[in-house]
Parts: sequence; structure tokens; C-alpha cells
Amino acid sequence: MIDLAIIGGGPAGYVAAERAGAKGLNVILFEKKMLGGVCLNEGCIPTKTLLYSAKTYDNALHGNNYGIEASNVTFSFEKIMARKNKVVRKLVSGVAAKMKTNHVEVVNGEAFIEGRTDKGIKISCGSEEYFATNLLICTGSEAFVPPIPGLKESGDIIVTNREILSLTTKPDSLIIVGGGVIGMEFASFFNSLGTKVTVIEMLDEIVSGMDIEMSAMLREQYAKKGITFHLSSKVTQINGNEVIFEKGGNVFTAQGDKILISVGRRPVTQGFGLENLGVELFKGGIKVDNKMRTNIPNIFAAGDVTGFSLLAHTAYREGEVVVNNLTGQKDTMRYNAIPGVVYTNPEIAGVGLTEEMAKAKNIPYKIAKLPMAYSGRFIAENEGGSGLCKVLIGEKYGEILGVHMIGNPSSEIIYGACLAIEAEMTLQEMKEVVFPHPTVSEIFKEVIFEF
Amino acid sequence: MATVVIMPKQGQSVESCIITQLFKKKGDHVKKGELLFAYETDKASFEETSPTDGIILDLFFEEGDEVPVLTNVLIIGEEGESIEALESKEIVSTPAEPSNENTTKIIESKPAEHTITAEQRSTISVGISPRARNLSEKEAVDAGQLQGSGPKGRIIERDIQSFVSKRGKMTPLAKKEIKENEGVILEGSGLGGSITSKDVTTQNPVYSTDFEIRPLTNMRKLIAKAMYASLQNSAQLTHHLGADARRILELREKVKKAMEKGYPYNITLNDMVGMAVIKALKKFPQVNSHCLGDSMKYFNKVHLALAVDTERGLMVPVVKNADDLSIQGLSNQFKEIANACKKGSIDPDLLSSESATFTISNLGNYGVEMFTPVINLPQTAILGVNTIVPRPKDLGNGSYGFVPFIGLSLTYDHRALDGGEATRFLKQIAIEIENLEFEL
Repeated sequence: MIDLAIIGGGPAGYVAAERAGAKGLNVILFEKKMLGGVCLNEGCIPTKTLLYSAKTYDNALHGNNYGIEASNVTFSFEKIMARKNKVVRKLVSGVAAKMKTNHVEVVNGEAFIEGRTDKGIKISCGSEEYFATNLLICTGSEAFVPPIPGLKESGDIIVTNREILSLTTKPDSLIIVGGGVIGMEFASFFNSLGTKVTVIEMLDEIVSGMDIEMSAMLREQYAKKGITFHLSSKVTQINGNEVIFEKGGNVFTAQGDKILISVGRRPVTQGFGLENLGVELFKGGIKVDNKMRTNIPNIFAAGDVTGFSLLAHTAYREGEVVVNNLTGQKDTMRYNAIPGVVYTNPEIAGVGLTEEMAKAKNIPYKIAKLPMAYSGRFIAENEGGSGLCKVLIGEKYGEILGVHMIGNPSSEIIYGACLAIEAEMTLQEMKEVVFPHPTVSEIFKEVIFEF
Repeated sequence: MATVVIMPKQGQSVESCIITQLFKKKGDHVKKGELLFAYETDKASFEETSPTDGIILDLFFEEGDEVPVLTNVLIIGEEGESIEALESKEIVSTPAEPSNENTTKIIESKPAEHTITAEQRSTISVGISPRARNLSEKEAVDAGQLQGSGPKGRIIERDIQSFVSKRGKMTPLAKKEIKENEGVILEGSGLGGSITSKDVTTQNPVYSTDFEIRPLTNMRKLIAKAMYASLQNSAQLTHHLGADARRILELREKVKKAMEKGYPYNITLNDMVGMAVIKALKKFPQVNSHCLGDSMKYFNKVHLALAVDTERGLMVPVVKNADDLSIQGLSNQFKEIANACKKGSIDPDLLSSESATFTISNLGNYGVEMFTPVINLPQTAILGVNTIVPRPKDLGNGSYGFVPFIGLSLTYDHRALDGGEATRFLKQIAIEIENLEFEL
């Protein structure tokens, strides 16, 4: 008998499989494509690999800011893509190795849930049948492609995060519909390589959900680097290379060799027999409680398929919560300290409440902020660069409610703020923490002392 | 010479009373006749007044304490007077009562059983070591709820440490919140199961505690015990029957009219039903009894109990020798005992179910049409009186009309009575109601 069957080998699935296997459960993992899921194959990892190439190129081009002269700096799009593929392959095989070490049986194929039987939850894959006591659904999400007139007819010109990662030649111009995290990371990459990038965003600011002041700073910095932004703009039609959009009642057009659709993602809940279980959905995703349980006993869901907090690190933790509770360790999923990062150059990172959220929720708060220039290390490494760090605390007890920063390497610093929020540290405790000097992270401490 | 105020003994069966309210604290001046404290027995509540002028030199109990009767509660005397000789919670006047040692032990063990209230927190100032106090401050531990393991029960650092390790990790924010607010600690939901602010506050009505737990009052406990025991230990069932109420309604009208002219007795329908019941009981002496399991106790006199709804809960006082009373007398007695219950001044002995032979519970005022009253064991039956409703009746000569009927619900113990007897008795009550007569 299988203790835990997992459908989907992305971050939620493979981490749950790894943890469950390590705890001695009999685990089977179904993956129809590649282990690692969207994150490893067409998301987090390949984009970060590309962005590092772009950053290295940027550094080489602008080395003169730091007294380094380099001439004839060029890049090979082909080699950049080849390196990305190598990195992905390496990490995917790493996941496979982990599965083996933890005695997880990996089945390559499309699993289909037949339903609940007296022998357990019946799952078929190919000609084989499997019976499991528990089932964890981690089927993830896919790019949402809205029904814009002319979109389908435009064929190859239209790409999502998946197709854009397999381009063999660099487009000279790129239109990005949707200026969220995914859109902005591709915008950053192609902008660095010299592609003419146009971002069309429906909302009045890019990367919504992050601190608005920082989103605006990022947009201004990229505008300086040559990206064209159209905010509050709604795409009404696509004619081949031409995107027609509406803004303030006026109609505009933009041209691009490629058009990236990055308006959002939606949970995958169809095509694998979910309906045979009677699992309840909520806003398109599988409805779960804080232990990742669905409405059906022994059926769990984790990762993007839940339809909210679509992040690999959320998925990891959700998978772990499932396994912990299955193996007798009480655990609950908390979403109040999940960091969000935009891996642009400069990076934006944030965790907890933004000022906007605190206001909307009527949570009494105090706020302090400082430019990144208060960190010596930041000055040393960011010639002419600017950044910002903001901290929100509770008005009464001074507990850390939110920390937001723009400037490199915010992505590596933010976890410190996650710890502070998870541990419900207050100003008093934070002031007692020693930060390494000189690091950019000291900016957090500097802001703490601003209160 | 200082005066010792003891917990009075209210009724033969009362062994302890609970102090419900203290009107004075240690060091307060009191005048003779001023209220000192309020206390309650199982069924009634009382107030104790000061026997003399003076200062409260010492006070041995707190509100909510259960105090054995005849135990010293407080000492009143002159300022600075030595009370060493009296500094004892032991019984001073011991009229053939349990040994001192025994009683003292009960009192000493009391604090451990308490749930600590907000007022009590602040009063814990003795019996804790400075190191323990520092740690309890830092770790947001309410030292008052701990049992000290040091000499004479003094709380020492080790006690706090062991409490903290059992309680589990607590975030700094949670500690701050619990220090300030009264909070219930739920299961830790934070990092590694640590207790977070969400687990201590009561602000979130969705996931948090939208309830409070209150201990039952002594009286509630007693009612609960008696009612549960009744249903567990007897074979009770209920018959329902209606009586033509035209007669008693007519009598009631007469009483009302007479009262307008200065008639002093407000004889109610309930009084009339009571009278009818007494008459029926005289004809069915087997119902005027106690069922003792393997024997029956038959009474010559009718001791009629009446269920009374009070703020503190249900009380069932008895009118002794009710069959000696005229309807005017019965009416007066009913009113007197009901008021005494409402004021809390009823003699506890009149509340004992053993002192009554039969009980009436009247819910007619509230519009109840039918119910199954629960017998007050060891009595063999209880009559539920319902509201008056119009019912069709054959008036003779093929004509039908609506007639007011009063519903009667007799619950009886089938161990003591059979269905036929019970029915005949119930019918007799109806007949008595339909034919009731009395002079104004």
C-alpha cells in the first residue's frame, strides 16, 4: 500500500516527496513532464540564470564606473540559452537523485485519479493502477492567456514564459503584456541585451503587491534604461506583431517581434480526474485549510493549484505542512511571513504587510525608511545607484509587521525579516541583534533605529 | 478584645458556604450593623452584618472561597490590637464538629483549586523569590497560578523554569500581549509550535475563543445534580389531561372584583390549582408519598412544594401542612415562600426535596401548553400546570362550543404508581378544579 501518492513533481510535490520519503513513508510521485515543475524548468531557475548572464554583461559594459575598462564586450544569445539549459538539466537531475536517496518511486507519466475505493484512492497511470492511503495534489498552474481578439491568429509571435525560454534568437523588440513579476524579469533580461522592450500594464503601477513607492522607483530606473511603460492600459486586439491598447479613452498601438503574455497564472485542476473525488474549488483553485486539507479526507493540495500565493517557496512549505501532519507532527501553514522578490536589477524584496495593506486592514502601524545609501557596502558596490528600505511596526508593541527593500542584494537579505516576523520580534529584540559589517543588510538595522 | 466573625450555620444540612462578595477589606473601619460580606449556601444567599464597631484586623478569605460553617472569616478590633491569639483559621467554637486538623486542611488546600482571576493576580506579593519574580516578569508568567516548591510553598526560580518549559516557546510579541491583556493561551501555531500573539489574544472572533468558561454556581451544580439523578434513578413518565377552566376563571373574576372593593387576598389561578391538588391528594394518599426504592413513605399531611423561578435559578420551597390551610392561607404562604426565594432569605430546610410530599410547577403564565416536569426525588409525582387554551367541547343537544381548558401534566414515578392510579389521580385534580368552591 502506498502511504502517500503525489501528483506533480514541482516544488510542492518533490519537497513533500523528499520529506515524506525521509520520514519512512511509502511515497510515489507522478510527473508527466520533468521533475522540478515550472519553477525548475520554465520559471524561477531558468530566468535567474538568464538574469545573471544579463547582469554580468551589464557589469562588463559599465565597468568603467568602477575603474575597469573593457572593450568589445559582446554576448552570445545562443550560449546564454545553452548555459540556462545546462543549469536546468543539472538541477532536474539533482531532484531525481534526491528522490532516489529518499526512496521515492517516481513514475513518469500522466496520472489520473479514478476515485476512492475500499482499497484506497485509486490512481491510474498508463496501464498501471495504484492504490494510496493519502493523495497530495500538486498540479501547479499555467500561464493564463486571455481571449484577446487576434491573439490566437498571431501564432509564434505570441509567447508565454514557457516559449520565451526556448527562443533561439534574441528578438529586436518585445512587447510584454502584463508588468507583474514575470513580465518585469523578462523585461529586465531583454532590456539588458539591447532588445527594445515595451511593457503594457492594466493597473496603474507595475509589480503590484510590492510596496508601491518601490515599484515606481523600479519603473523609473527601467524607463531610464530604455523600457517604454504604458500603465492603466488595456489590450483590446492583437494583429500579428501589432498590439492595440486603450489608455484613458485613447487607442494606441505598439510593435514587437515577439509578444509575451504574462497577465497571470491559473491553477491546473482539470484533466487528471479531480472531479472523481468531489474536491471543492475556490476561485479556480483547490480549497484548502491551514493544514492543506481539502474537503475530502486524506486528499491534500499544495502549491499553485490552491490558487493563491503562487510562489515556489510557498509550495515547499505547504508540502512540508502536509507531510508533518501526516507523520504526527502538528504543523500549520502561515502566510503572514512569505517573502516576495522581483529579481530585476535592482532587486525588490518584501515580506509582511505593506503600508497599503496595513491601511486597508486598519492595522495601527508606524513606519520608518532610509535610502540604501545609509549602507557603506551599498555605496561601495552601487556607483550612482539608489535604493530604499522601509520597515513597518505595530503601533502598540513595536512588532515587525513588514519589511520592504529595493536595491541589490535585497533578495538575499529579506529572509532576516521573515525570521523577525515569524518570531514576532519587536523593536526591542531587533535592536539586540548583531548584523555583519559591512553588508547591505545593515540597512535593516539602521531603519530599526529610526523608530 | 477583638471580635471574631464566623461563617454562620444556616440550616441543619449546610456544611459550608461560598463568600460571594466582600464589602470590606483588611484595614477598613466598620460600624455595627454595616454589611461585612455576602455568602450563599446551596440554595439561598445571605448577608452578614458587623456585630460591633472597629477595624477589620484580619480577613482570612477571598470572594469565591468556600468556607466551612463556624469557621473564622474575619476579626474586628481596635487599631494596633494584638490578634495573635486569634490568628487562626481554625474553628473557635466547636460544638461537636469535625476535628480542627481536618478543617484547617480543607482551607489550606483551597488556593490550589482556584482559577486565578485578575484581582487575585495583583495580590500575590508574598511567597516568591526575587529571582523567580524576575524570571516570571521576563517570561510573562503569572506566578500566582503556580504551586511553589520552595520552603512553605514559596515560589522559586525552578518553579517558573519548569512552567516555562512546559508551556513552550512564546514569541516576544505574545509575551508583551499576555502581560497586558487577559488572554487564554491556545495551542502554539508559530515557528516550531511557539505561542504567537494570535494564540493569546481574544481579538479574532473567527479562529479564537468566542466563549468564556465560567464555573457553575453552587446552586446550579445542585440543581444539575438533582435533576440528573432524578432522571437516572426513577421510572418517570408524564400523562397530560385538560380540565374545564370555566369555574376557576369565574372565581378569579370574582376575586378581582372583590379586590377592587378592598378584599385583601389576591387568590390566583395557581392558588386554586394548588387547593385542588391538596384536595385530590387527600383522596389519593398513595400519591402523597416518597418512593424509597424498596419501601414507600406515606404522609398524613400534605407538604406542598412550588417551583419558583429566581435569578439564581430554580428553587422549590415547601408549604408545610398545606392541607390545614384555607385557600386564603395557602395563597399567602405561596407568596411568602416565593418572595423569600427571590430575596434569598428562604430557610434552606424548606428547600429540601425531602421536606415536601408533592410539587407543583406552573408554566401557564409563560404560555406553555404541555411539558414533562422532572420529579423532585424522593417524591413520587409532580404536577405541571399549563396555560389555558380554548378547546371544542360537546355542550349537549348536538351543540359544540369553545371552552377554556387548563392543561395538566402529571409526571409520576412508575415504581411507585401505576398508570391507572396516576390517571385517576390526575382526573381527580381536574374534577376538583372544575368543582372548586370557596368563600371570599
